[in-house]
Amino acid sequence: MKRKDTVKLISADEMEFVIDKDAVMVSQTIRNLLTSPGGFAETKLGEVTFPEISAVILERICQYFYWALQYSR
Amino acid sequence: MSNQKKRNFQIEAFKHRVVVDPKYAEKTWSILEHAIHEIYNHNASGLSFEELYRNAYNMVLHKFGEKLYSGLVATMTAHLKEISKSIEAAQGDLFLEELNRKWNDHNKALQMIRDILMYMDRTYIPNTHKTPVHELGLNLWRDNVIHSSKIQSRLLSMLLELVHRERTGEVIDRGLMRNIIKMLMDLGSSVYQEDFEKPFLEVSAEFYMGESQKFIECCDCGDYLKKAELRLNEEIERVTHYLDVKSEVKITNVVEKEMIANHMMRLVHMENSGLVNMLLDDKYEDLGRMYNLFRRVPNGLSTIRDVMTSHLREIGKQLVTDAEKLKDPVEFVQRLLDEKDKYDSIISQAFSNDKTFQNALNSSFEYFINLNNRSPEFISLFVDDKLRKGLKGVSEEDVEIILDKVMMLFRYLQEKDVFEKYYKQHLAKRLLSGKTVSDDAERSLIVKLKTECGYQFTSKLEGMFTDMKTSQDTMQGFYASHPELTDGPTLVVQVLTTGSWPTQPSITCNLPAETSALCEKFRSYYLGTHTGRRLSWQTNMGTADIKATFGKGQKHELNVSTYQMCVLMLFNNADRLSYKEVEQATGIPASDLKRCLQSMACVKGKNVLRKEPMSKDIGEDDAFFVNDKFTSKFYKVKIGTVVAQKESEPEKQETRQRVEEDRKPQIEAAIVRIMKSRRVLDHNNIIAEVTKQLQSRFLANPTEIKKRIESLIERDFLERDNNDRKLYRYLA
Repeated sequence: MKRKDTVKLISADEMEFVIDKDAVMVSQTIRNLLTSPGGFAETKLGEVTFPEISAVILERICQYFYWALQYSR
Repeated sequence: MSNQKKRNFQIEAFKHRVVVDPKYAEKTWSILEHAIHEIYNHNASGLSFEELYRNAYNMVLHKFGEKLYSGLVATMTAHLKEISKSIEAAQGDLFLEELNRKWNDHNKALQMIRDILMYMDRTYIPNTHKTPVHELGLNLWRDNVIHSSKIQSRLLSMLLELVHRERTGEVIDRGLMRNIIKMLMDLGSSVYQEDFEKPFLEVSAEFYMGESQKFIECCDCGDYLKKAELRLNEEIERVTHYLDVKSEVKITNVVEKEMIANHMMRLVHMENSGLVNMLLDDKYEDLGRMYNLFRRVPNGLSTIRDVMTSHLREIGKQLVTDAEKLKDPVEFVQRLLDEKDKYDSIISQAFSNDKTFQNALNSSFEYFINLNNRSPEFISLFVDDKLRKGLKGVSEEDVEIILDKVMMLFRYLQEKDVFEKYYKQHLAKRLLSGKTVSDDAERSLIVKLKTECGYQFTSKLEGMFTDMKTSQDTMQGFYASHPELTDGPTLVVQVLTTGSWPTQPSITCNLPAETSALCEKFRSYYLGTHTGRRLSWQTNMGTADIKATFGKGQKHELNVSTYQMCVLMLFNNADRLSYKEVEQATGIPASDLKRCLQSMACVKGKNVLRKEPMSKDIGEDDAFFVNDKFTSKFYKVKIGTVVAQKESEPEKQETRQRVEEDRKPQIEAAIVRIMKSRRVLDHNNIIAEVTKQLQSRFLANPTEIKKRIESLIERDFLERDNNDRKLYRYLA
């Protein structure tokens, strides 16, 4: 498996989604999170936890990311 | 399917988990407050962005945005107050460094906080028109740190002191300066201007005032300008390194005003080193520097220009009225050309070819060349000298250059018709004696004059050239048709058209028998081919080559004028002749005869005749003999060539008079031309129009114009209007 720049998104029920960095940057919020100058916990570990988002929804979100990457540019 | 009870379906919007906890806002806020503290203490690694973001999001969503915002303000203010204290505590030079460090920290923290509170920034703030987080952070910094009473003045004085130190030659930490200044700029341009720029400009003005005072006491003009330029460049460099770009114009204005504008007059008129001295010594570098510096201040260049003009006019006036210099016209004109060259190169090298300076130069030259009313004559003499011998061996381009320079001087003349008269005379002498160095050069000069003044000016001059050419052809024809004459004396005739050549009253003399027979033959030949023309011999303008054998057998070929030839031929038949006999036999007028006898008897090395008594002057009773003891190194001896010279007083008056006479019809022609097209015109306007039309030839005198008008009225070309005495009417 090639090791590209990836980010791990973890849902409320502990499902892990490994997404490309480019896809994840579609979201402004996550982009700010990852590029924030301060040393937040997320940036160090490269994973973001969403305790209020279920896996199903998170899955949809990830699909949306990839769709946006493909069609919005 | 009907039911008794209607069931109402209501579709409810998906609601978020309802918050029941009344302390919810408090709890959430304390989490965020804690986070802010941690951020300011560089402890953010333990925090979860997602959690904080979620909390801020929830607060705004549940309408607690107000609490969040005000809490933020309070927390940040508190932190900034602490920071402010720590900065105040810093000693001496560390003050700025501490400030810089804390500012960087603040910026970083601010960005993190903004990221967390992004949702509030996007929704709550636009709705309530409050300041966005980032701007809020800057404003709070400004109010609590920069404008805190203890810090504000200290900051300013430290910055100004660093600038002062750098100006006195010390090296300062420019990076630090740049960061601090950038901070001020980021806080808003008004902050930058109020807290730094204004005081900076004031202090700079004082500094430069003092410095310029100091320099001007001890330096000369060139040094002072060097220093001023250095300071100016230094300031510009300073701006590029650590100040706002917009300050460049302002600070350069300050320097220019203090160092240059305030001392302009003093610099220009400084003794031994001011503008005049620089011009005299050709100090191109200093002049160039002065030009560049003065260009920046209002009235700078016009000051230089005025001083230069008055200086030029002074020098020019001295030149043209100096009796010594006027003795040699060629020298005189050469000096004028040298001055022009000098100033041309000054303007091109030091003043970057500025047109206004060229114009000033031209007007000055025009002014003083016309101060001396013999200038046209002298310029013509200069050209004459060049065309006779000065251009020998000079390449074609150099010839063109010299002629162009002469044309330039010609343009400055106001009395161009005087020049024309003299030029015609000198050209005639050159052509007839065959003394011109290069035919091409002559023609090229005529072409230049034509371009400058029009066909009218040069038509007669060209006529002279044509005559010379035609005469050559005529002579060939003459000898071709009279082959028997090839044994006898060779005749070369120049047939001159009376209108083109400068006329001189001529009195024919008695030519010796051999020549007169030949002349008659030529006359009949010429009149045979051209009927209806009249030929008159101009014996005062001719030359002759005679072979002579002297007592000891020396043979020489003598080149003499026609008059002299007549005199010498008499001695073929007689050994001794008295003055009276010579006069009678030749019929030459007395003054000319005396001159030609003098040149043959009294000039050492050319004394082919011996005179008794041996005095310089010719008396009525003198007797002449052939000088048998005549010797010369050369076989060919030239006696008495007629050279164009500076006119003597009576000749000058005569030429002047003729010029005046020639002007009269020109003025009249101009008046008639103008009146014909305008029909009715009043006195002042006529004078103005006439002067303008004749400007290219000469400067018309209003009194003269008035006289011409009177004369035209007498001759019924014009009439005075009955009602208005000043009005003139054209009569067809």
